[in-house]
Amino acid sequence: MTEAETTKLLKRYSEAKISVVELRRALGGGVTFGDVLIELARRDLPLPRAPEAGREQRIAAARAALFPKAA
Amino acid sequence: MSRPRTSLFVLDTGPLITLAAADSLDYLLYPNVPVVIPDAVFYEATRDSAKLGAQSIMDWVKAHHDQVEIAVTNTYLNFESALRADPHAYAPNLGEQASVEVIEEPTRLQGDEKAVLLCEETMVTRRIVVRERERIVELSTMDFLKLLEAEQRIQSADAVFDSALAAGRTPSRVEKFGEHDPAVRDAVRDTLAAARRTPPRGGRRRRKS
Repeated sequence: MTEAETTKLLKRYSEAKISVVELRRALGGGVTFGDVLIELARRDLPLPRAPEAGREQRIAAARAALFPKAA
Repeated sequence: MSRPRTSLFVLDTGPLITLAAADSLDYLLYPNVPVVIPDAVFYEATRDSAKLGAQSIMDWVKAHHDQVEIAVTNTYLNFESALRADPHAYAPNLGEQASVEVIEEPTRLQGDEKAVLLCEETMVTRRIVVRERERIVELSTMDFLKLLEAEQRIQSADAVFDSALAAGRTPSRVEKFGEHDPAVRDAVRDTLAAARRTPPRGGRRRRKS
């Protein structure tokens, strides 16, 4: 895989267009999450943080379970 | 009426490595609930992060053994046997299989118990045959950090992600545990062996299948 292809894949992951599983599979065997983190950092790409469907509900449900007084 | 018991299950390496890289593993303890890490996930996180955070993860697990359970699984025991026969043995989806095994243990999620599953790879939860899905919430690392931010336990979820990436850019930290440091490897093995000697919290004694 070329450097450009690798960067393109990392960019897609960074933009939350593909999952980390898809990314690691595309990059090939033995690529770890630590490697992903380092490669993102090298390219100044952020970790994915795009809003996901249902995120607010999930966080609210988890908050009620983990911090019941606040819910 | 007492509050239903909730446990936080860390089901893949992403949250551990990200938080370790950001020196923020203690955030997992902020909800003050038991933290459960399947043995294979611990193994993969410390192996995977040989360049980033392995020692931090091991030190953190040891320092908080009263709150953090390394859950012993048949999946990992079998893999360890395979490793003894072939040091290059590789098991794809090892952590995922172990995570499914832990969540599906009959002794977990009894009564009113709830589970918050922390994982980046949603396929783990897709595979779980959930007895009562409404008692399980799945969160990504960012979801968890946003929750702590909402609780005013941390200032900024984004800042934690930025710190993790900064660690990836810092050569001293990247190289510190490079190339399968034997000391790290021994420490991982010792931690997993200690987990096996500890009586399981769910009361189930493990055997190799």
